Amino acid sequence: MKAMLLAFVGLISHGSLAAASAQVENQCLTCHETLGDKPSELFKHDIHFKKGISCAGCHGGDSTSDDMEVAMNPKAGFIGVPKGDDISRMCAKCHSSAAIMVKQYNSILPRNQIETLWESVHGKLSTTGKERIAQCTTCHDAHGIVSTKDPASPVYPLNVTKTCAKCHSDAAFMRAYNPALPVDQLDKYRTSVHGIRNKEGDVKVAECASCHGSHDIRAASDVKSKVYATNLPVTCASCHANRAYMKGYRLPIDQFGKFSKSVHGKALLEKHDLGAPSCNDCHGNHGAVPPGVESISKVCGICHALNADLFSSSPHKKAFDRRKLPECETCHGYHETVAATDELLGVSPDAVCSRCHSPSKNPKGYLVARTMRQLIDSLEAAESRAAVLVNEAEQKGMEISEARFKLRDVRQARLESRTMVHSFDEEKFRAVIEKGLGVTSAVSAEASDAIHEYYFRRWGLGVATLIITVLAVSVFLLIRRIERRQQQKK
Amino acid sequence: MKARLKKLYDWVDERVQLEDLVEFMGKKYVPVHSHSVWYYFGGVSLFLFIIQVVTGILLLMYYKGSESLAFESIQFLMSKVAFGWLIRSIHSWAANLFILAAMIHMFSVYFTKAYRKPREITWLTGMLMFFLALGFGFSGYLLPWNELAFFATKVGTDIVGVVPLIGKPLMILLRGGEEVTGATLSRFFGLHVAIMPGIFTVFLTIHLLLVQRQGMSEPLGVEANAGEEMRTMPFFPNFLLRDLLLWLIVLNLLAMLAVFFPWELGRKADPFAPAPAGIKPEWYFMFMFQTLKYIPAQVLFIDGEVLGIMLFGIAGLLWMLVPFWDRRSSRGERNRVINYIGIFAVIYIIVFTILGWAS
Repeated sequence: MKAMLLAFVGLISHGSLAAASAQVENQCLTCHETLGDKPSELFKHDIHFKKGISCAGCHGGDSTSDDMEVAMNPKAGFIGVPKGDDISRMCAKCHSSAAIMVKQYNSILPRNQIETLWESVHGKLSTTGKERIAQCTTCHDAHGIVSTKDPASPVYPLNVTKTCAKCHSDAAFMRAYNPALPVDQLDKYRTSVHGIRNKEGDVKVAECASCHGSHDIRAASDVKSKVYATNLPVTCASCHANRAYMKGYRLPIDQFGKFSKSVHGKALLEKHDLGAPSCNDCHGNHGAVPPGVESISKVCGICHALNADLFSSSPHKKAFDRRKLPECETCHGYHETVAATDELLGVSPDAVCSRCHSPSKNPKGYLVARTMRQLIDSLEAAESRAAVLVNEAEQKGMEISEARFKLRDVRQARLESRTMVHSFDEEKFRAVIEKGLGVTSAVSAEASDAIHEYYFRRWGLGVATLIITVLAVSVFLLIRRIERRQQQKK
Repeated sequence: MKARLKKLYDWVDERVQLEDLVEFMGKKYVPVHSHSVWYYFGGVSLFLFIIQVVTGILLLMYYKGSESLAFESIQFLMSKVAFGWLIRSIHSWAANLFILAAMIHMFSVYFTKAYRKPREITWLTGMLMFFLALGFGFSGYLLPWNELAFFATKVGTDIVGVVPLIGKPLMILLRGGEEVTGATLSRFFGLHVAIMPGIFTVFLTIHLLLVQRQGMSEPLGVEANAGEEMRTMPFFPNFLLRDLLLWLIVLNLLAMLAVFFPWELGRKADPFAPAPAGIKPEWYFMFMFQTLKYIPAQVLFIDGEVLGIMLFGIAGLLWMLVPFWDRRSSRGERNRVINYIGIFAVIYIIVFTILGWAS
């Protein structure tokens, strides 16, 4: 009768038959509640409790008995508080089982969480070897577990950064596992557009798990990581290229498409050149913001240091600052930065210089741009001529490897001149071009000599063959004369 | 002019008494018969050897026998030194022609049974010189330290390594360690320019002295038919001038080969690079290399490669000792078996060499 009454009370208070019957049978909770301990208080809000899972579900024993000796009898399977990896194993007993998750609870949750967790950096990086760094409860808590969509969940988008930071901002804790890893990610994140909006309550913006994953987090240096350099553009694009998702943010969604076509994107995504920049190299990662007009040359200058230095001391620096033009971007564009060719230089319609310089407008710059283009074209033409001569000498079988090697210096001078363009100083530019022209002259002379030598050898052979043949004929005639005399003597 | 030459001759004669030598040379005759043409190949071999010595000495002035400098020194020689390309090309081409001429000379002596008593020592020294010539070829091939040479030497010395008992120590001795390295280059250089030329000179001296002392052998068939006196020609000047004529023709051929087909240098050897495709030994080793490829990995209880090397070793030894087991020829009787063996050897070498190049 008492049980029936209790069941009725439970039904009213929780609105669920399963939860009500669990509460009826959950003698552990009844006793622990009277003790006033925190776990029992939290457990009443736990999704598992609401689904009718008793304390015994994780701790073992017989939760239906109000006799402590019976309820907490190891023979009845009581294990107390699971420790270390046993915690995750205990969760996986149900969460990896289709029979329980699908059939009993009609759940659509993935059932490979424990496998992905143990494959992740948190599963693998252990200092003791006894247990993994993170268990399920590390992020989801133990007794107050709620759905990840519940704002109370520690892994809810607005809470997850704090949850991760519990460990990742703790320098003493992190030192034990990865002393090289910075511990200021949360601080940086709070300065980013993502972080600011997240703090304002925007659950759509990226938080830790958006980029790093949840159970399957891998080190950024792991090629399978979502934030590995070659994977990162796709990770960012999963939101930034999604028109529906980005609606309301007033941002373009073509960055990934443009980047993929750029010289950087091709190097990174097609050639897998890790030296090429990924999204985070220009925008920052945890502190991601679009670089401003002021900082764009600093961002590009991280890799293109010489170009940035030359530009900073060039007359263009002041002019750009005055007009509030972004430095590198004005000529080279952004996201879709194509390979810089000589066509960018000069006064032709395709050249970027002609956008600002014309014979009537900024004529001095117009003349310099035209001269610089002529100079670089002359070097390219001289290089081609030298290469043709070297090829011809090689085809004639001449040993000309040194000249072939020197051609690299010409190419180097051409590359150097492209860098020197950023000084916008005709004299400095001319010096580099003349250095290259000097090498092309030497290479061309060497190749021409080799070609002449080739013909000289043939002529030499002709002369030598003639002399040897005359000698041979002479010897032949001498033999005949001697033998004729010998015959006559006989 | 004649008077001056006579004066010079008298001056030398007064001091070293040339009369005996002139008298000896005046009495020296060379048999004239249908196989006389083969006599010239000994002379051609000698001429090519002299070219090798002269061009080799010239190359030595620029060549640096070390792993880091060998390739570059040849590169320098071929591109910067006046006529360096010519000297190297002639040295390489003459080396091949020398082995070809020596081979023809050896087979002509074999088929005419010129090795028979009393010329056993001449044959033996000739055979030893032939083996040394192969050694010259093998060691010289590595010296430019290019890719092909490096891997060919690796394969070649690997084969030496499978010879039972002495193979492994011999391979280590040749390589100067377990692998082909700069130590191997130093050893091959030493062998090529000092040790082998020294030994070769001793055998060559004995060989030439015996040829002069014993004269040219007359082939067995020609000897048997000789009812009347054998037709001869004086060695000096008739035979020597003919020799000179042939040498001039060979020199012309060499010059053409050197100019039209200059010996390539290739790419510098990189011990860490994978072996390039189509590694082949020089043509004179090709028939042995090809045979080893055809022998199964295991023949009864013997490793195929070991069996092949042992068979070639035994065949070479028997070939070298032919004057001692071909008693019939020594007695002046016909021995057709020798001819059949020789024909088999020639066909075998030609067929397997062609197969090797075609594969």
